Amino acid sequence: MKKFDVIIIGGGHNGLVAACVLSKKGKKVLVIEKNEKLGGLANYAESLSFISKEVIDELNIKIEKNVSENFVSALSEDLNHTVLKINDSKNIEFLQTSASNSDQKNFINLINKYNLFARTLRSFMFKRPPRVKSGSRSDIWQLFSMGFKVRRLGKKNMRELLRVIGLNIADDLEDNIESNTLKGLMSNEAVIGTNLGARSPGSILNLLYNQATNNSLFRINKFNTNSFLNIIENICKKNNVEIQTNKTVEKINILNQNVNSVLLNTGEVIETSAIISNTDPKTTYLELVGAPNLDTDFIRRAKNYRTKGTVAKVNIEFESEIKIKNLDSSYSSGKFVYAPDIKYIEHAFNDNKYNNLSLNPCLEFYINKNQLSANVYFIPYLINSSHDKEKILSNVKLILEKFIEENQIISSIIETPNDIENKYNICGGHWSHGDMEIDQLLMMRPFYGSSQYSTPINGLYLCSAGTHPGGGITGINGINAAKQLLKVQGNG
Amino acid sequence: MDNTLSFTKPLLETPFHKRTFEACYNNDWYRWAGYKIAREYSNTELEYTSMRNTAGVLDITPMHKYDIKGKDAIKFVDKLVTRDVTQIKPNQVMYIIWCNEDGNVIDDGTVFCFDKNHLRIFCAERNLNWFSDTAIGFEVAVKDVSDSIAALAFQGPLSCKILHLLNVKNIENLKPFFFDNFDLNGSKVTISRTGFSGDLGYEIWCNPEEAINVWDSLFKFNRDYKILPAGMNALEMVRIEAGFIQPNADFMSAEQALRPNRMRTPFELGMGWLVDLNKNYFTGKRILNDLKKKPLTKKLIGLDIQGDKPAIGSVLYDKNRKEIGIVTAGMWSPSLKSNIAFGYVDNDHLKIGSKVFAEIYHPEELEYKKIWAECLVVKKQFFNPQRRHKVPADI
Amino acid sequence: MSKSIYDVAIIGGGHNGLTTACYLAKAGLKVVVIEKQSYVGGAAVSREIHPGWTYSNCSYVCSLLRPEIFRDLELSKYGLQIIPYEGSASMLDDGRYYAHYNDHDLTYRSIAQFSKKDAEAYDRFGKDVMRQCKIIKPLLKMTPPDPTSFAPKDIMGLFDFAKFFAAKDELGGLGEKEIYDTIRFWTMSVRDYLEEYFESDIVKAHLAGSAIIGTALGPYSPGSAYVLLHHYMGEVDGTVGAWGYSRGGMGSITKAMAASLEASGGEIKAGSPVNEILIKNNKTYGMVLENGDEIYANKIVSNLDVKRTFLKVVEKKELPEDFYNAVKKFKIRGSSGKLNIALDDLPIWKSIPEGDPAGTGDLHITQSIEEMEGAYDDWKDGRWSSLPYVDMCIPSINDPTMAPQGKHYMSVFVQYVPYNLADGGWTEEKRLEFGKHVMSRIGNYSTNFNDIINHAEIRTPKELEQEVGLTEGNIFQGELTMDQLMFNRPIPGYAQYKTPIKNLYMCGSSTHPGGGVMGAPGANAAREILIDLKKQINTHYI
Repeated sequence: MKKFDVIIIGGGHNGLVAACVLSKKGKKVLVIEKNEKLGGLANYAESLSFISKEVIDELNIKIEKNVSENFVSALSEDLNHTVLKINDSKNIEFLQTSASNSDQKNFINLINKYNLFARTLRSFMFKRPPRVKSGSRSDIWQLFSMGFKVRRLGKKNMRELLRVIGLNIADDLEDNIESNTLKGLMSNEAVIGTNLGARSPGSILNLLYNQATNNSLFRINKFNTNSFLNIIENICKKNNVEIQTNKTVEKINILNQNVNSVLLNTGEVIETSAIISNTDPKTTYLELVGAPNLDTDFIRRAKNYRTKGTVAKVNIEFESEIKIKNLDSSYSSGKFVYAPDIKYIEHAFNDNKYNNLSLNPCLEFYINKNQLSANVYFIPYLINSSHDKEKILSNVKLILEKFIEENQIISSIIETPNDIENKYNICGGHWSHGDMEIDQLLMMRPFYGSSQYSTPINGLYLCSAGTHPGGGITGINGINAAKQLLKVQGNG
Repeated sequence: MDNTLSFTKPLLETPFHKRTFEACYNNDWYRWAGYKIAREYSNTELEYTSMRNTAGVLDITPMHKYDIKGKDAIKFVDKLVTRDVTQIKPNQVMYIIWCNEDGNVIDDGTVFCFDKNHLRIFCAERNLNWFSDTAIGFEVAVKDVSDSIAALAFQGPLSCKILHLLNVKNIENLKPFFFDNFDLNGSKVTISRTGFSGDLGYEIWCNPEEAINVWDSLFKFNRDYKILPAGMNALEMVRIEAGFIQPNADFMSAEQALRPNRMRTPFELGMGWLVDLNKNYFTGKRILNDLKKKPLTKKLIGLDIQGDKPAIGSVLYDKNRKEIGIVTAGMWSPSLKSNIAFGYVDNDHLKIGSKVFAEIYHPEELEYKKIWAECLVVKKQFFNPQRRHKVPADI
Repeated sequence: MSKSIYDVAIIGGGHNGLTTACYLAKAGLKVVVIEKQSYVGGAAVSREIHPGWTYSNCSYVCSLLRPEIFRDLELSKYGLQIIPYEGSASMLDDGRYYAHYNDHDLTYRSIAQFSKKDAEAYDRFGKDVMRQCKIIKPLLKMTPPDPTSFAPKDIMGLFDFAKFFAAKDELGGLGEKEIYDTIRFWTMSVRDYLEEYFESDIVKAHLAGSAIIGTALGPYSPGSAYVLLHHYMGEVDGTVGAWGYSRGGMGSITKAMAASLEASGGEIKAGSPVNEILIKNNKTYGMVLENGDEIYANKIVSNLDVKRTFLKVVEKKELPEDFYNAVKKFKIRGSSGKLNIALDDLPIWKSIPEGDPAGTGDLHITQSIEEMEGAYDDWKDGRWSSLPYVDMCIPSINDPTMAPQGKHYMSVFVQYVPYNLADGGWTEEKRLEFGKHVMSRIGNYSTNFNDIINHAEIRTPKELEQEVGLTEGNIFQGELTMDQLMFNRPIPGYAQYKTPIKNLYMCGSSTHPGGGVMGAPGANAAREILIDLKKQINTHYI
């Protein structure tokens, strides 16, 4: 029987990053991936706008930036679209818009404000989150330094940060901007992938989080996701990480509160003394570890962890090249957003609350010749029932028809949160492996008793988006989990 | 017994209510889990004495009863409690406690094994949510069957004799912490040799329809052996003498405590012997494993107090008058002719033989008198007669 | 036109203004309260709108009023008495009702009809909420420290705050878990929070009611759990979370405060709207009333909400631009309506039997949290809720002073009603239609309700604004959301009852700890003023 130092469950980007870090330290690592292709949900990501210094340093990688320009087009029903050119987080220009000059100015000011706050958040975003009252000196020091960083913003900005952190995006937008299109565009970034509407408190915090982890408010396409995945896959291969695809871990075997081995769907049992789970916390605990190995209070918290997915992926192939009405085709390399105003988003969100699909969903899509790939929300994860995919498609079609010059659909693939759950073993098919709301962030992510990438089971660690700092292709979760493992094993 | 919900009748009546109501001359009722239970039928001292002299009958129907059925029944209970129950045999009863993740005790109770797929837990507090949440991941169904079982405690030196006179076959050979099904004067009952009195005694479980017959039968030989129905006050006396602690009296149940520092670990309650750290995983095991290695900072102990004034609610001090703990329950013990109590004291005073002081406020003709009484730390189990353990039991 | 001189003048005779005034008068200051209406009380009033009936026509029940204030102001001596609730209930469409009693066992059985698990979970929920109430209680009396300041006072305040959580004995030694629970409670949606305990729709709906009353949040909105806490943190005689009627209506509270004030030598000028606050060199020194009277005072305290104070009364030119803009951004949204109904008889409910104490407290009409969220969806779109959440009570059952013999007064609180209707503004017709809509919903649950209505006063947020002066008719003088609580309330940097204008203070519910007939903002403001005046006072609160 083979034995590994570390088994990583799930070959998503965080799992692979963790494998890189550990294999570099000489650990014998096995990655088990359910699907043929590595990368997990990262394969869905159209954009990769930021690779942090932490990742670059840790993995010692060089990655080419995309040369193409980044555009974000907010589609408007009157075909007076707004197009933004995003050079970097600080340099955004309007290429065309129907918004007034003062609106444009205020919009940029707002983005700059969020940028400033996101930068502050980022300074502790990529570290292991400190626990409160754990008694550990490093935690106390870290909490103190977090406070210090916030204070360094200065009186005025700190006050504003403390105010907007609990605010909803709609209020802040309405306080500053008139244009519905711009409000919709910004709200889109705050609510996509969440269970929040534009009027839900916490939506700004979610926006700031996204901005901090992506170093961009609009999640622009600065790097090629695939090449990033290839690079980390290659590091794994170079470091002799064994990767087994098309295999599912059915169970983590535990002996005296220590991980012992994993059981695969093939019936294989592979021994190990350490496991990092790249699958979401709920699945890890309730399915793989199994409730009998966990305290009842802990199970309660795992059960209460909120993971309802809300976004469906729709890929459509058209007969001929896609053309957006009344828009220069040179912008078509960018992202298109259809979230025309706050009310529209809020109505789409209303349906989601009652587990209905949005009749008038919001869209975020990319086009590539005759291919269109869209994130459609809100399409809630359903328990005990299935989606009417025809309905989703026809809703999307109705919207696209308004903006795409006549074209015939050849084929389409729809992946609802339920499909994502099945395909990737992510509970609820949630983009971020769990809602990014204050009570599920930082040291409370995923929940008490499982923070700082550790678990109650010795030798088991979490590296999925269900840990701090949450979703997005950061690789930070993977690095921090691997570091935590090394620290516990005494060779960090 | 009329238990339809109405705002005019906040309390439930047990299947014995017709009898307990007649016997409760004082009309002094206690609330136990939403039921009306006599606090004192006629005179607490006499009720107590009957439990120590002949036998006393207590209506314990309000005990919570949870049926555990399914393939994983034993595994589930083993995960729930601190003791190893995997070896439990049919007809066996085990005393159990269960803790939360911090190793704080939630409740205690007994588990009855009918067969390996069917166990039943009896306990004083409501535990349906805790049990249901613990059952996640086990092939087991937890059902609250509290309302469908009537229960009497029949405690005292003559309890076996009277059951024997009632032709309950072979009752004398029922070992402590075992149960079986019997015929009691025409009623099918389950009898376990268990109880809260620290004396020879049984608990009788039956269908609510049989309740009145069972009750009446127990009093059938009253002309020869006078037994009394006993109320909650008398029960409180015998349980303190026996050294039994009670959640939400001697400590706060971890599920109900508002203030975290009111919760207690099994070690602090002197129940370390119930914690088996070599068994399979159970809730709280991780923390209890750590705690076991650390010295205790506080503990519940027995106190033998100078004088005869009960130390109820007293604060405990060391000889320098520094506060070191509190009394959780206290009484004058008629059997021992001693002034006994449970005290929760800090680490310097938890050894048997230590001396502490209790400040007792005792009412004497409308005026409270402050008594400074020396107390000796002793074992909690004050009363433990041989007849309690004898097999066959005295008939 | 007269001129008079005082130490302190308070604009607005609501319960907070009166509380501030009472404490300052007790400290020996010459105090005057200026009230635009001919009666004091603000939103805590008893009014005979319909002959023979006394309406608590704005706020209608009492729990949050701090007992220390009650005691300090000797309100009992001046006629205030609180009658505790005997129960509460939610009526269901299927003819059942969920009842809550003062008797724990009865409540258990009532909940157990719907779910045994929930009946048991209710105790755990109650314990957890109680712990949060205990945590928040000392915070209510605190002047929020400014986290951005390096002033010793603020640093100490923050330190006290941290120490409070670290303290071993105060709350039984809060651990890491309990601190996270607090953060969770303060930020989660009430729906998510209740889902963690309960399975039955009606149990959740009944409890969630407290989380939406008065707010522009739905039960699914993060932060709504805090609003529930805000309604639970009161007490009646030590029973935390208990509510009661004020004998003689809510006006008895302010009447007693006014009497207490006058007994301490304070003055009240009712029927005198303020025209202008006199400011010179960024310093206030007095005001001019509409009748031309001039009042000079060392300190001026505004009981008006922050928007009204700084957008209507103080001139823009007197204010720093940042502050002015921040005031404009202050969220104060009307979301509640109120019906005061004079009844010729007691309503007979289809579900609740006569005499049931649950029928004498607050009665809710709600079926589920989803329905409540749907009601909120309507509000967001600028409509009154098609299925409004209704919180009714009939104080005259327990309070003999509210209605003629055999007749009754019913207070109906309605959530949600917008301040602005999307289809053009409010008109008299729409107001009546709204009233009819609510009454018809109530009528569905009663066999005689429609026949016993003698008179109904229908109030939308507009009426509340016009009569009491609450901007947009928000009952809390500002939303109770994270961005407007503690050191953010009302404006970040101005949470210590002071304003950018020297000698001008705020004491209304716009300030920490927020809305409800609590008196804490008023008493806290009084404390700050006394500190500034270097005056000491020996009371239970301060």
